[in-house]
Amino acid sequence: MVNKKTKLHYYPGCTLKEKTTNLDNTTYAVMDLLGYELIEPENWTCCGAEFPLTEEKIVGLAAPVRILRQVKLEGGNEVFTVCSFCFNVLKRANEAMVTDPLKHKRINAFLKDDIAIDRVTGEKTTDFPEYNGDVSVLHLLEFIRDEIGYEKIRSLLKRDLSKVKVVPYYGCRLLRPKGKIGIDEPDDPSIFEEFLENIGCEVIDFPFKQECCGSYLSLSMPDAASEASYNILRSAELNGADVVALSCPLCYYNLDRRQDRIKEKFPEFHEMPVFFFTQLLAWALGVDEEVLGLDQHFCDPRSAIGIDKSGVEI
Amino acid sequence: MNSNGKKKRIGVFVCHCGVNIAAMVDVKRVAEEMEKYPGVAFSTDYIYMCSDPGQQLILDKAIEEKLDAVIVACCSPTLHEITFQNAVKLAGLSAFQVEIANIREQVSWVHTDREEATLKAIRIVRSLVEKIRFNKNLEPIEVDVTRRAMVIGAGISGIQAALDIADQGYEVLLVEKEASIGGHMIQLSETFPTLDCSQCIMTPKMVEISRHPNIKLMTYHEVESISGFVGNFTVRIKKKPRYVDEVACTMCGDCEEVCPEVVPDEFNLGLSYRKAIYLPFPQAIPGTYTLDIDSCLGLWPIRCSACRDACEVNAIDFDQKEEIIEEKVGAITVCTGYDLYSMKSLGEFGGEKYEDVVDGLEFERILSASGPTGGKVCRPSDGKVPKSIVFIQCCGSRDPENHKSYCSRICCMYTAKHAMLYKHHVPDGQATVFYIDVRTGGKRFEEFYQRTVEEGEVLYLRGKVSKVYKEGDKIIVHGSDTLTGRKVEMEADMVVLAMAMEKKEGTEELLRKLNISADTDGWLAEAHPKLKPVESINAGFFLAGCAHGPKDIPDTVAQASAAAAKVGALFAKEKLQHDPAIVPVNEELCSGCEICVNVCPYDARELDSEKGIVIVNEVLCEGCGACAAACPSGAAQKRNQTDNQIFSMLSAILKI
Amino acid sequence: MRIKLKFEENEKKFIDRVNELSGENIYSCYQCGCCSSGCPFVFEMDILPNQIIRLVQMGREEELIGSKALFLCASCFTCQSRCPKGINIANVAEAVRHLIEPKGKDYFGPQEIPVELADELPQQALVAVYRKFSK
Repeated sequence: MVNKKTKLHYYPGCTLKEKTTNLDNTTYAVMDLLGYELIEPENWTCCGAEFPLTEEKIVGLAAPVRILRQVKLEGGNEVFTVCSFCFNVLKRANEAMVTDPLKHKRINAFLKDDIAIDRVTGEKTTDFPEYNGDVSVLHLLEFIRDEIGYEKIRSLLKRDLSKVKVVPYYGCRLLRPKGKIGIDEPDDPSIFEEFLENIGCEVIDFPFKQECCGSYLSLSMPDAASEASYNILRSAELNGADVVALSCPLCYYNLDRRQDRIKEKFPEFHEMPVFFFTQLLAWALGVDEEVLGLDQHFCDPRSAIGIDKSGVEI
Repeated sequence: MNSNGKKKRIGVFVCHCGVNIAAMVDVKRVAEEMEKYPGVAFSTDYIYMCSDPGQQLILDKAIEEKLDAVIVACCSPTLHEITFQNAVKLAGLSAFQVEIANIREQVSWVHTDREEATLKAIRIVRSLVEKIRFNKNLEPIEVDVTRRAMVIGAGISGIQAALDIADQGYEVLLVEKEASIGGHMIQLSETFPTLDCSQCIMTPKMVEISRHPNIKLMTYHEVESISGFVGNFTVRIKKKPRYVDEVACTMCGDCEEVCPEVVPDEFNLGLSYRKAIYLPFPQAIPGTYTLDIDSCLGLWPIRCSACRDACEVNAIDFDQKEEIIEEKVGAITVCTGYDLYSMKSLGEFGGEKYEDVVDGLEFERILSASGPTGGKVCRPSDGKVPKSIVFIQCCGSRDPENHKSYCSRICCMYTAKHAMLYKHHVPDGQATVFYIDVRTGGKRFEEFYQRTVEEGEVLYLRGKVSKVYKEGDKIIVHGSDTLTGRKVEMEADMVVLAMAMEKKEGTEELLRKLNISADTDGWLAEAHPKLKPVESINAGFFLAGCAHGPKDIPDTVAQASAAAAKVGALFAKEKLQHDPAIVPVNEELCSGCEICVNVCPYDARELDSEKGIVIVNEVLCEGCGACAAACPSGAAQKRNQTDNQIFSMLSAILKI
Repeated sequence: MRIKLKFEENEKKFIDRVNELSGENIYSCYQCGCCSSGCPFVFEMDILPNQIIRLVQMGREEELIGSKALFLCASCFTCQSRCPKGINIANVAEAVRHLIEPKGKDYFGPQEIPVELADELPQQALVAVYRKFSK
């Protein structure tokens, strides 16, 4: 008999559907194993990537609020993400709807006149209800800790990751801005470490776990981003790690895909495999290698998790 | 009615307070309006009522105009009520025939419309005329004084306060919860700005404490509860079992040698280890070993009795039990000191993670000749002599957003001292200080700081550090120098964090027992920030040292002596006078419902079960009026502030 | 290296606008420098984050127009998380960018994306960088 799966709203974000499909695929794979059926909100759009920081740019809130409203309309009261950027924007937008009456009023006035057309029936929906910030926005790491529980994860482990010496890399958007947004203390986080320990990895502490990787400066100021990323990977290596675990597609881009540029700038640099946390979780839970999308990585991560060159598990 | 049963002749005196009142209130108009008011026999204004001529004016007019009562419309009664009471006493009036109408703090300072302010002033004065019509002459309540003081906490402030009270001839109970007296000062290496050895200047005072005939030293004791009132407190003190007979112990150390349990040594802040049976430090007072029961393997005969077997004088007594001692005292001085804010709160500095990132007190122990390294400056991780130390100031201080909003006052100076002492120990070492501002307000402090910079060749960089982490053998510090406009990244062998000071752990609990208050940061609240700096708001309680807020040793000692002088002044009185404006019980009206008993914050009221009514301990009653407000039958009415008076005042205020 | 300091209409208006747009009180900064100490991109900057705030406090809009530092902020919020006064420095930088935009240059345009990377770039980076650094 097949257990009935729990339905759960999941907001993947654009990058996961186009570039880092490995993050998306492994998320689906692990959540399936953990007993969840993921629902993506109907007609979801880009979250906007950056939360608008000034009072005048509030139209940037329209997209994330619209997504959250959709979750609510579909009967969801929580939505999780794996992309740190999406998490940050959705959570901050949600928070603004609760704490900032002016933004609440302006955005709701703006979104009221949305028109949605049902794909099947062609039926139009207008006159949307107000959104009041009542969907809770979670990152998968939080969801695992608080709702799934590490015990369950441990009970389902299929592969041994004890030889994987990993540093958790939080980056910025899981932890800051300080206050209600982050998933842990900005300067003394532990949730990622706990997660990695519970999937069986050897966790290495390193002082750059909450430093910025360069983010989108890798487009506008590539040198600055390379140096920031280099500092992080160098610190991971100095502290004895073999791999980096992270959750953000942009961090992944800077820390893995752009290792070529780092090498150009810093000849002494050693390549280091970088994983999404969901890839490590998927591997630990026994998901097949193909699902992990390891061929998308710049630095081949196979040997780090015990797969030899010919693709055989060692 | 005056004492002859005639209507009272009331005088009104309106003060200009220079322009403080006169600029916003038309004082002449107030005086003129009041002259027309029923019962007012005389009314005038004057530029400074509190001046000699002003007081003389009140006195002269009281006699000339045969006044029965006087209203002075001026500043808050907390400032000059007594001044004017004394003035009318010379005219033969009772102090209770003066009322202050506060038209400064409550009117001129808080209003911007002169017309409205003037009208409000008139209403306030009118209401006090209504009140004073019914004021009765009261006699002060007299109370005996127990001329015996308790001092809580035996660091430098408690020690100084105890000695100064004892030297005035009064008995002192000095209660300390730790095994020895000495507090934080005995942990310090040398003291700024003179570089006296802290132990050298402190131990004579500690010895004096132990020998003083008027001082009863109670170490390893804690205050359990307190009852009573100024001059007459009853305290219950818990004596914690030391499991060692203080008198018999010869401090030979045999017990310590055989004890198998090793735990971090608090005196050295965990930089060294001690046994479960231990002497806190060589000059500890009282000179006795203490068995730390939380670390001990277990009392005889369960598991281990090595110490007892080793003790030749049989000083170890596993049967000691906790005891509660009851004592009577007349005054209590609170000297509970401070803690350093935990490095754990500053995750970005890695103080909890890296052994070589230490706080200021740990560095004191490292510098101290009696410290864990025997006076040699070595870093904790590997015992190497640090060739470069970075000192970071304002760690947790001046940070209202994340930590403490206040300046901890001593860190600038002790950091300068640390840098200088480090250079004395390691002349070729590099000391670098990150600071935001250098504050050297004390006597000879600035000179000391400049000497540190010049002679010590210490580099002061102006910027707050943001990150400290370890890379291999080195500690990396990310700071900035806002003077050159550069971010500064540097390596160091050791980092010393000037952690903020905070209230001693357990202060809140103690304050609840004592029923005295603290400010928003948890420091003890003084009765007046300028004029009553060593008194608590509650009578009979005094405060000194860092329990009241961050301060250095000279200020602490000065404050402790001041508190002792205040205790002396209290004890010098033959009788204490208690304000008679209390809330008695009208036996005819009281039904014994006990509502007032429950609302009384001073435990002054209780039910007399025989009579079925509530009775009042007049000495405990502070006249706050909570009971009067709660009493459903009007049986509880405050003297000179009866319901009748309050209603008259209200209608005078509300009448246009 | 000399400033003739004045506080006239323009300066005051600039300061007020920065406060208004950022939602912060620029005067609450006491220039401890912590933001600059922790900022991961200071090595590329011409002026420090605390100096951005300082120049706003002094009403020096003109001097900020050419500053590269404003365009090195990736809103990582390290400064905000440690600022003793809780100032959102990234908000301040964004407010200043917003105010000087009409006068300054476009810091990032589509033509600047290297062709060989166009396929690989995460969408989120493109969206974010345009939002931040283009007019």
